[in-house]
Amino acid sequence: MSSGGGAVTLSQPILPGGNANLRLKVEQASYAYAATDRSAPTFTLGPASFEARQRELVAILGPNASGKSTMLKLLAGLLKPLSGRIEVDGTEVSELDLKVRAQKIALVSQESELLFPLRVWEYVLQGRYPYGRRLRFESDEDCLLAGNALAQVGADALRDRWMDQLSGGEKQRVILARALAQQPSLLLLDEPTQHLDIGGKVELLRRLRRLADENRYTVIVVTHELNLAAEFSDRIVLVHKGKFPRIGTPAEVYERGLLEEVFEAPLEVETGYSGRPRVILRATH
Amino acid sequence: MRPLTPQRILGICALLCGVLFVVCVVSLRMGAYPISVRDIVSTLFNVATGRREEIPVEFWQVVFGLRLPRIALGILVGASLSTAGAGFQALLRNPLADPYVLGVSSGAALGAIISLIVAPHTVGAIQLAAFVGAASTITAVYFLGRRGGQLDSPTLLLAGIVAASFLSAIIMFLLTMVTGSELRSIAFWLMGDLTAPPPTTNVLGWLGFLFFVFIVAAGAMYTTSSDLNLILTGEQEAKHLGVNVNRVKFVVYIAASVLTGLAVSVSGAIGYVGLLVPHVMRMLFGTDYRMLIPTAAIGGAIAIVLADTLARTVMAPTELPVGAMTALAGAPVFIYLMRRRMR
Amino acid sequence: MWRPASLYSRGFFVGRKFTRALGQVFCMIYLLAFCGAMQAAAAAPHQTPGLKRAMKFVTDETGRRVAIPFSVQRIVTLAPDLTETVYALGLGDKLAADTTFCDTPPAAKLKPHIGAPQTPSLEAIVAMHPDLVLATTSINRPETADALLRLGISVYTSDPHTVRGMLDSIARMADLMGANEQGMALVTQLQARLDAVHARLAELPLVHVLFVVWEDPLITIGQNTFIADALRWAGAESVIVADQNWPQVSMEEIVRLQPEYILFTGNHSESNGDNELNRLRTRPGWKALKAIEMGHVIRVDDEITKPSPGLVGAIEQIARELHPDVFSSGARGESFELQDGMMTGVVASIWQKRERDFCAL
Repeated sequence: MSSGGGAVTLSQPILPGGNANLRLKVEQASYAYAATDRSAPTFTLGPASFEARQRELVAILGPNASGKSTMLKLLAGLLKPLSGRIEVDGTEVSELDLKVRAQKIALVSQESELLFPLRVWEYVLQGRYPYGRRLRFESDEDCLLAGNALAQVGADALRDRWMDQLSGGEKQRVILARALAQQPSLLLLDEPTQHLDIGGKVELLRRLRRLADENRYTVIVVTHELNLAAEFSDRIVLVHKGKFPRIGTPAEVYERGLLEEVFEAPLEVETGYSGRPRVILRATH
Repeated sequence: MRPLTPQRILGICALLCGVLFVVCVVSLRMGAYPISVRDIVSTLFNVATGRREEIPVEFWQVVFGLRLPRIALGILVGASLSTAGAGFQALLRNPLADPYVLGVSSGAALGAIISLIVAPHTVGAIQLAAFVGAASTITAVYFLGRRGGQLDSPTLLLAGIVAASFLSAIIMFLLTMVTGSELRSIAFWLMGDLTAPPPTTNVLGWLGFLFFVFIVAAGAMYTTSSDLNLILTGEQEAKHLGVNVNRVKFVVYIAASVLTGLAVSVSGAIGYVGLLVPHVMRMLFGTDYRMLIPTAAIGGAIAIVLADTLARTVMAPTELPVGAMTALAGAPVFIYLMRRRMR
Repeated sequence: MWRPASLYSRGFFVGRKFTRALGQVFCMIYLLAFCGAMQAAAAAPHQTPGLKRAMKFVTDETGRRVAIPFSVQRIVTLAPDLTETVYALGLGDKLAADTTFCDTPPAAKLKPHIGAPQTPSLEAIVAMHPDLVLATTSINRPETADALLRLGISVYTSDPHTVRGMLDSIARMADLMGANEQGMALVTQLQARLDAVHARLAELPLVHVLFVVWEDPLITIGQNTFIADALRWAGAESVIVADQNWPQVSMEEIVRLQPEYILFTGNHSESNGDNELNRLRTRPGWKALKAIEMGHVIRVDDEITKPSPGLVGAIEQIARELHPDVFSSGARGESFELQDGMMTGVVASIWQKRERDFCAL
């Protein structure tokens, strides 16, 4: 397809109800940074346009240092785009007040370096911070929502445990629960499968998929895992050295030539068991 | 799920205030001059009914001239130090932080020493100079502790340690230059001494002023207590949850430093209280800062009044400095806390 | 805005009416007591207690203006030398309390104690109902005197820097305590002894000595201390000239200066100088001193460190030991050290009779 400005957006599904479900809208957003203020930009994130709706899981896919994390920061409002707009629920993200932004966007962190012992429910309850005054005491509603969040990740049984006694997987679920307690429109995760084994990866993505399908979250995952992205996401945003060569469904994006160019590895694309594309290594030398 | 409520906080504070009250009564009772609880009650009764002449003069001197001001000052200093300690432990993300780690006490000590050398008998000079020293150190460390224009915890810690060592070196130099009698005064001041005379004869006004400063600073810190809870799980995460981390750090830094400066200016550097009382209160009542700040304040007051009472009575008639008592008691408590953490 | 107790019914303090009521009652009591105490403190009498009696205003040796009653019956001393002075003036009966370190004369040990000179118990002092408290800048902290004055207790602080100053001090204190005659007599006596010593030594050059306050680190006396002044009276001079009162010096400097005599202070009981000498002969640095080689080590009576009447005895002892040929006539009879807790013998014998004739002033 023709490329205008480097970004190709394919087959935007049109759901009934149209833009009412539109959570995230990225319009020609671009960014650049340089080593110092006065030198030429060393890295530019080309203009990108895509959308994400309720119940969708979008994967921002690309090799290391392609600019995926920068894109995520732009989506989270931590960076302001140099041109274009990034809107969540209709408002420009970087202009939002800190607390309002936290009500709309939840950025799920990898680790949690706790200094003092904390119980799981206390930790998850902290996710309700964006709602209410600065010095606040949690209400019944807060407790209810925190409980719901724990249930949504299947960590209800962990409620009274101490945070530092949890296993890695349990902890990640709890961290996710805290993000869910924010009742966000957008759930952002930066390489969440990094330290997990294959079982953990699958479990996490299944959970994210369920959250999207059943609980109507909009999930954006930054990853470099080709097969997981293909298997679980509705749309893929392919990133390559700051450019966005293709944006579309996994079937549309996973083209052998394109992937080999982006990931610089001998790859082969075939159809997997579920009907979605599957990428395998073609040769080892 | 039992979230914290204001009722729970007030309830526990009431309990702690009760303990403080009992400790104060015991402290009033103990000492070289014999006083019983009955005497105290009857004195208050006489005062209330306007019959002041019936109170023996020495009783008045001892109770209102000596013990009550000490107890009041002890409450203030204990509360200030513990609250400041709790604040610094959160700000610096370090459970070993105490109010003196950023050099505020060294700055105050330097100010006090200079005033003892230059103007030994001027009323109020030592407190003022100590506070000026503390304020200067706070400002200097603030500017040294920034990174990219914002307070950065590790940088702040380093800046504070450097400031503390530098100021201590100057103090050591001055100590060798000083002649006999000032040396004694300085040594006692450094050890922590609750009997320092107030700069004005209006003791009540002086205490009221100090208390007012305490309330303002501690109150400012309390407004950030929800934020501190979040910051303690990670600064980035707190930012993502909507906490204005830079503003919170600034407020806590100023509030905790002012509290430390206040305490050190009036009573020298009493150690261990700022470090240990927050930990003990965490063990008893949890790590939530909305509960910790008030309980640490009252707990610190209890600790200092107890330590002062012991310092006065353990080796009667000699009076030990309060700092010696807190160190003696503090070290075993610290070891116990460390071992519990290991488990 | 507070939520009802339903979710927190398992809470510890909330939801139990009795506990809450108790807590509230407690708070009320506490608040009332607090207010009462504050009110009382605010209304504390600022006038000194003794204003009912006749007081005179004097300026003590630190420049403070203090009110002292004309009639002083109860005295509290805050330093051993002051205790000695009080006994030397024959006022031992009026001494209500002294410090734990006061042991000269031995009778002083039996008096009630109010603590150490640097950390006395203010309450204990108050409990003694003193008419006059004596302090000295040589060992007491100014904060102690300040605190006592604020409570309305009369405190006289002496500030002796020279031997003559000490004598003036004794005379003034005697006057304040109503022992003017004894004071003049004692001072005259002590001055006479000093003059006698001075007369014999007037022509002789000053002997260079090292006065050791502390061995490790090596600390000696500065030229502004009364010890230095006392040494000058004894015909000696410290090899170290310093403005600080207790300068720390290096051994090398001493070896370079080679003092003729080394002076140590010691307890009353330790009289064996030979052991000390042998020990020093083995220490590096010390053995390089000619004084050690020649055995010129003098153990000085402790009295040299206190600005009290006994200081004169110590001066005489040093003078004798430094200039043995000048004092060969066995001048022991002229001086009297404060051994065996005797009061200054001469003064006592002359004035005991007189005392009976005086009424308490």
